[in-house]
Amino acid sequence: MKNKTINKIFGLLTILSFMLMGCTENTAYKEQLKDPELFHSAMQKLTDVMVHDIFSPPVASRVYMYPSVAAYAIIQKAYPNKYNSLEGQLNGFTEIPDATDKNVDYHLAALHTFCVVGKELIFSEDKMTEFQEDMYKSLQESGLPKKVLNASKAYGDEIAKHVLKWMDDDLYKQTRTYPKYTIKEEDKFWKPTPPDYMDGIEPHWDKIRTLVLKSANQFPAKPPLEFNLTEGSPFQKQLMEVYEKVNGANAENTAIASFWDCNPYVSHHQGHAMFATKKITPAGHWIGITAIAARQSNNTFDETINAYTNVSVALFDAFISCWNQKWISLVVRPETLINQYIDEQWVPLLQTPPFPEYTSGHSVISRAAAVTLTHLYGDNFSYIDTTEKEYGLPARSFDSFIQASEEAAISRLYGGIHYMMAIEEGVNQGEKVGNYIVKNLHTSKNQ
Amino acid sequence: MKQAFGLFFTLTLIVSGCSKKKEIPVEKAAIYFNPVSADSSGIDFINQLYHLDDLNIIEYLYYYNGGGVAIGDINNDGLEDLYFTANQTSDKLYLNLGNLKFKDITKEAGILTDSTWSTGVTMEDINNDGLLDIYVCKVGNYKTLKAHNLLYINKGNNTFVESSSEYGLDFSGFSTQASFFDYDNDGDMDVYLMNHAVHTPRGYGNISRRQLKDSLSGDRLYENKWDEGLVKFSDVTQASGIYSSVLGYGLALATSDVNNDGFMDVYVGNDFHENDYLYLNQGNKTFKESSADYLNHTSRFTMGVEIADINNDKTLDIFTLDMMPFDHEIFLKSGGEDSDKVSQIKKNFGFQTQYSRNTLQLNYNNRSFSDVALMTNTYATDWSWSVLINDYDNDGLNDVYITNGIYKRPNDLNYINYLSNVDFSKYDRTKQDEIERKLIEKMPTINISNIIFRNKGNLEFEKLTHQAGLEPSYSNGAAYSDLDNDGDVDLVVNNINQKALLLENKSHSNKRHNYISFTLKGDEKFKNPNGAKAYLYADGHEYFKELTVTRGFQSSSSHKLHFGLGNSEKVDSLKIVWLDGSTQTENGLEVNKHQSIVKKPKGTISISPVAVNNSLLERFPFFHTENNYQDYDRETLIPEKLSTEGPASIQADFNGDELEDIFIGGAKYQSPSLYFKQSNGTYKKDEKSDFIKDIIYEDVDVATFDYENDGDLDLYVMSGGNDAVENDQKLEDRIYLNNGKGHFKRLISNLIKTNGGSVSSQDFDGDGFDDFFIGNRSIPGGYGLSPYSFILKNNKKGEYNIVLKKRLGMITDSKWVDINNDKLLDLVVVGDWMPITILINNGDATFTDHTLNYGLENTYGMWNVVKILDIDGNGQKDIIAGNAGLNLKWKASKERPVKLFLDDFDKNGQLDPIIFYDFFGNYVPFASKDKLAEQLPSLKKKFLNYSKFSKINGIEDLTGMKEENVLEVKKITELRSMIYLNVGINTKEIPLPQEAQTSSVEDIYVEQKNNKTTIYYVGNFLDYTNELGQSSSNSGGFLTINKNLKWESIKKLPLPENLNARKIIKIDEKRFLVIANNDQSFSIESIKE
Repeated sequence: MKNKTINKIFGLLTILSFMLMGCTENTAYKEQLKDPELFHSAMQKLTDVMVHDIFSPPVASRVYMYPSVAAYAIIQKAYPNKYNSLEGQLNGFTEIPDATDKNVDYHLAALHTFCVVGKELIFSEDKMTEFQEDMYKSLQESGLPKKVLNASKAYGDEIAKHVLKWMDDDLYKQTRTYPKYTIKEEDKFWKPTPPDYMDGIEPHWDKIRTLVLKSANQFPAKPPLEFNLTEGSPFQKQLMEVYEKVNGANAENTAIASFWDCNPYVSHHQGHAMFATKKITPAGHWIGITAIAARQSNNTFDETINAYTNVSVALFDAFISCWNQKWISLVVRPETLINQYIDEQWVPLLQTPPFPEYTSGHSVISRAAAVTLTHLYGDNFSYIDTTEKEYGLPARSFDSFIQASEEAAISRLYGGIHYMMAIEEGVNQGEKVGNYIVKNLHTSKNQ
Repeated sequence: MKQAFGLFFTLTLIVSGCSKKKEIPVEKAAIYFNPVSADSSGIDFINQLYHLDDLNIIEYLYYYNGGGVAIGDINNDGLEDLYFTANQTSDKLYLNLGNLKFKDITKEAGILTDSTWSTGVTMEDINNDGLLDIYVCKVGNYKTLKAHNLLYINKGNNTFVESSSEYGLDFSGFSTQASFFDYDNDGDMDVYLMNHAVHTPRGYGNISRRQLKDSLSGDRLYENKWDEGLVKFSDVTQASGIYSSVLGYGLALATSDVNNDGFMDVYVGNDFHENDYLYLNQGNKTFKESSADYLNHTSRFTMGVEIADINNDKTLDIFTLDMMPFDHEIFLKSGGEDSDKVSQIKKNFGFQTQYSRNTLQLNYNNRSFSDVALMTNTYATDWSWSVLINDYDNDGLNDVYITNGIYKRPNDLNYINYLSNVDFSKYDRTKQDEIERKLIEKMPTINISNIIFRNKGNLEFEKLTHQAGLEPSYSNGAAYSDLDNDGDVDLVVNNINQKALLLENKSHSNKRHNYISFTLKGDEKFKNPNGAKAYLYADGHEYFKELTVTRGFQSSSSHKLHFGLGNSEKVDSLKIVWLDGSTQTENGLEVNKHQSIVKKPKGTISISPVAVNNSLLERFPFFHTENNYQDYDRETLIPEKLSTEGPASIQADFNGDELEDIFIGGAKYQSPSLYFKQSNGTYKKDEKSDFIKDIIYEDVDVATFDYENDGDLDLYVMSGGNDAVENDQKLEDRIYLNNGKGHFKRLISNLIKTNGGSVSSQDFDGDGFDDFFIGNRSIPGGYGLSPYSFILKNNKKGEYNIVLKKRLGMITDSKWVDINNDKLLDLVVVGDWMPITILINNGDATFTDHTLNYGLENTYGMWNVVKILDIDGNGQKDIIAGNAGLNLKWKASKERPVKLFLDDFDKNGQLDPIIFYDFFGNYVPFASKDKLAEQLPSLKKKFLNYSKFSKINGIEDLTGMKEENVLEVKKITELRSMIYLNVGINTKEIPLPQEAQTSSVEDIYVEQKNNKTTIYYVGNFLDYTNELGQSSSNSGGFLTINKNLKWESIKKLPLPENLNARKIIKIDEKRFLVIANNDQSFSIESIKE
């Protein structure tokens, strides 16, 4: 009782003192702008809008990457002794201009540029604009001077423009109208899968400009097993393994498969009615893990951006590397073969995503991200992954990022959407991509 | 509590219904129905639905399919009575007291008054006691629903005893509707029981699953053993050969002798990817599913069916219903046709072509059907259930009444993609009910008016709603009958959450129009007249009706036969063909009266099975095989394939034996073939020429000419294809030189490498050397752009000079002809998105475009072929040109053309061909939002949801660019195949008859004899994208027009249905060679009846 009263008084006092300070100078905004949670919330907003707007996994990796790089570029200007410029490190990236207005707050400018570049990539811009307005309003209430806001926004806009110009040359626009995949009759080739029989996603993603990798096929996977349905052949054995793993799935396997599903758009048909459940993508999941690691390590505002940037770059290149393999090998999904030759009623645990099987995307990108996170936060980093909680899935604990990436990889077998070869070779591919990026991308001067 | 909620809901509906009436009263149309209030009629039936956690649209996919209506005279008082089925409340039986007054006798009659889920209902006398019995279908054995189908045997005095188990008809499963009919012509009523399925398949699976039986789903056939003296139906499903599998989502059912062979057939309309079944009765208690042989395609989500003669040609036509919207906004935000890829996948699984729209399948000689729903604009009536064909205004032409409406609209794309997302943070099994309720709440609800298509003759229909007294409702089952015996047909409609409608026919024309109606009565053995055919002859008109009652959706209509007679004052005769094969003729019948016709014990037996004369059709040993290239994989917005032109062909004497040989080009990876005609009329394939080596070319056209002026015919073969870029080796044209004996060698030269369209060779300057027109089809990869076409003049040294180079359009055909009678050869050129173009020869190796001067400036079409001749014998040239036809989703006129906008709207270096067309009065983009956003990703941002997209009305709404600023705008103003008389003097249009407009006309052969012109045409075009749909309703026919421009004969050629016919060549006095794309070629004999 007594305590409460005291608290109340203290509260009142604080408000009073703030008000008093307001008369002179309210600098509470400065503290606010140091808070890495501000950046986390911007990243979370980006994720939320992406889920609403629906992006395929490779495209989603691009939506995370450009805003992060833009924010990093500004942070690097703010802490030149702590971070290296990305010029010469990311293909085609050129040094951003310095801020000329001394009123610029770099943290605010980084947040602003993140949102501006992000808006360029998503569809529902209004949702992001609303977030920005709320953020600026709250900061202004905490004393952010108009001139600082304006100067920071102006600088953020300038950098956004710079980054968008760089982005414009990544061949994304052009690849929109490249030819689609024409169905090939032979059994071994990929075919659209139930229930929606969607067209293959991004058959030309390997034409997109890589960031650190020299080319899309710098780390090719070894060729897939020879297609052969004869009983006992290596390929047939792996096919049967998928079939049996799903049929004999235990609770743990099912939990693992669901946890790493990361399918942005799963449709459910009920007669004429159709519903969609929408979730984060694989890249979204690893961005979520990055947030957990950054928070757990008490990362500062700039360190947080640095972590997001490293991970999003690794994810971006890993997707290109994987998609290059997928659309060269054109391996058919297990569901197609099982329905045709083994069991017409068989349904995989997860909905088969609409692109060729080999290599497994989640395996490649998870390992690349895990290698990057290990580089940033160390090998034995225990954490509880709560990323999927919002989508109704319970948290899971991991002892290391690598362990998590192993689980993400094997989840595709439990889910019934990948053969073991795509998982194993996917992990290898991801490892190579991750290592190359860690070796060649130097953001922090201390590392 | 629930009751109260339901009541409240009804109340609000009524209130909002009242406010609608404020609209300015519309003028009553020729057909007009007056709703009779429940207070007056005594019909207070409502099919009221109550949301239950285990029974709603998510738990049961057919939750909103509603109830049915059965009409029949249960007490033989001359007034037909009514039975309504309800889903969650009690069914009701109403006795007709006359003057449209009814009495609810449900309880007294012994009808069960529980709340089991009733679906379809039909009234038929199944035990031949002269009293109508009632059969009610039920959903049983599903979740909390427990019931079996009910058979109410009429005991007289308006009482019934439920006897389904005694008769062996107490099936319990997913029944939709039953139809009683005599499948073995033994005088008793057998029954086809149609069931639906409830599972949602993940994949399409193989059609072999049709062979697997299911205990709850899957159709059944029961044979009535009455003729053996037994009170029993026995299950003959297995022996009859019908499918009884879980693939059958049976919603529509009709039994009818569709091929007029004296045996009753069955039409089953299935929902989803399963094809409709057309079971032809083989006359030996078995059926053969023949939809693929008789129907070119069917509705996809078939929900209702009606079989009746719509065009008074005394054959039975089939009308099926689907769910295609007609409102442009609903259309743009509903899931449309399958993508081309999905339609291909379904085909690979073995399914036939289906489109998500109504079909009006016209019966042709009881041998095949042509869907003309697009041509007649009857293809889109939204989510439709019942279709009832009858003559509602007694003008002698059968009209169409359609009920529609879905209480909750689950196929709204906006809903699916943005509103239906399940909030998974709150998701767990215990909350499933709550989630489902929320999902259903969010589903869009739109009610719309039922529709009447008034038949105006000549396959033209007038669409009526409010003007005909029809107001918005959610209507399902419906039935017709002249309930007040006043000489016109009234309607009864079962609605969801709204009182049933009794629509009294108040069409004003019925006062002056005459009618006649009949009740047929059988004899001792053939007690039940079901299946009898009535042919009525009056005043030179002929009418035909078949007595069946199960029609529309979950309903059965009047047992009386009603004929509108228009102004005819008397009937000459009535011929009845009974199902036992006997025929009787009645004379001296009085009009404007209802009368009974009793079967005479000994009628004339005259079963005459239809003889199909197959000798008219022979296979010709050439098979054209297209390569697997899908243009739409590279060009998302393309409406038609440009990679399936050809085959090229030409007939000429190549070896100097005075017999006409035939050259036929190949598709890519197929070499050209040369067939030498033998003196006995057969053909021998040439094996020696150079052609065999040239398999990489797709041959799209060919011309003969004399290259060396050595008196023999050389060949110019034009290459084409849309899968290579210009100047690719594979697109190079070729010249083959003849050694005089028909042995050809390729001339080494460097010829044009483009996607060719048409080549024509003539000596236009009269210098003794053949010149050329080279017309190109497209710039590969750039649909819509006009490539250069050329006129080449022979310089007498084996070289050609370009005298004209012009972007004329997307050329398909060309002819050198002296069109203005000035002794100089002019050029007529046709193609897609261009007018019939006239290039006049100025006599100095220059040409001037005179299209405008020749009155052809509004002839922008999708032309395939052009012929020039003098039809009316006045010495002036007339043009016949084959076009895409009228049986197309696109509609075109000078005022409302189809428009093609060509520009790089998003500046990514790629051409964006965007098409808009007039969709029931509003311009809509041809490509879906998803397709457009694939081509122009910025549209995803501009149109964040489907609602905003659905408001688009033009190119500016879509792209922000004004029409006048678009780089190039092309158009189509004419889709009909046409004759243009006296071009250049006094151009006059004569469209080819409707029959020739039902598909694309691809080639024409003309013969002139005895002052008459006969136009032989072949057509269909199977290579439109799936959104536009295959043009497949007419493989070919012939038309005779006399000098006075009167059509004398309109006939079909004996060609297989669905043929992608491209060329017709007359090969001798009686026979034609018809060459098809990607198919067999045929030699046919034309019959002149």
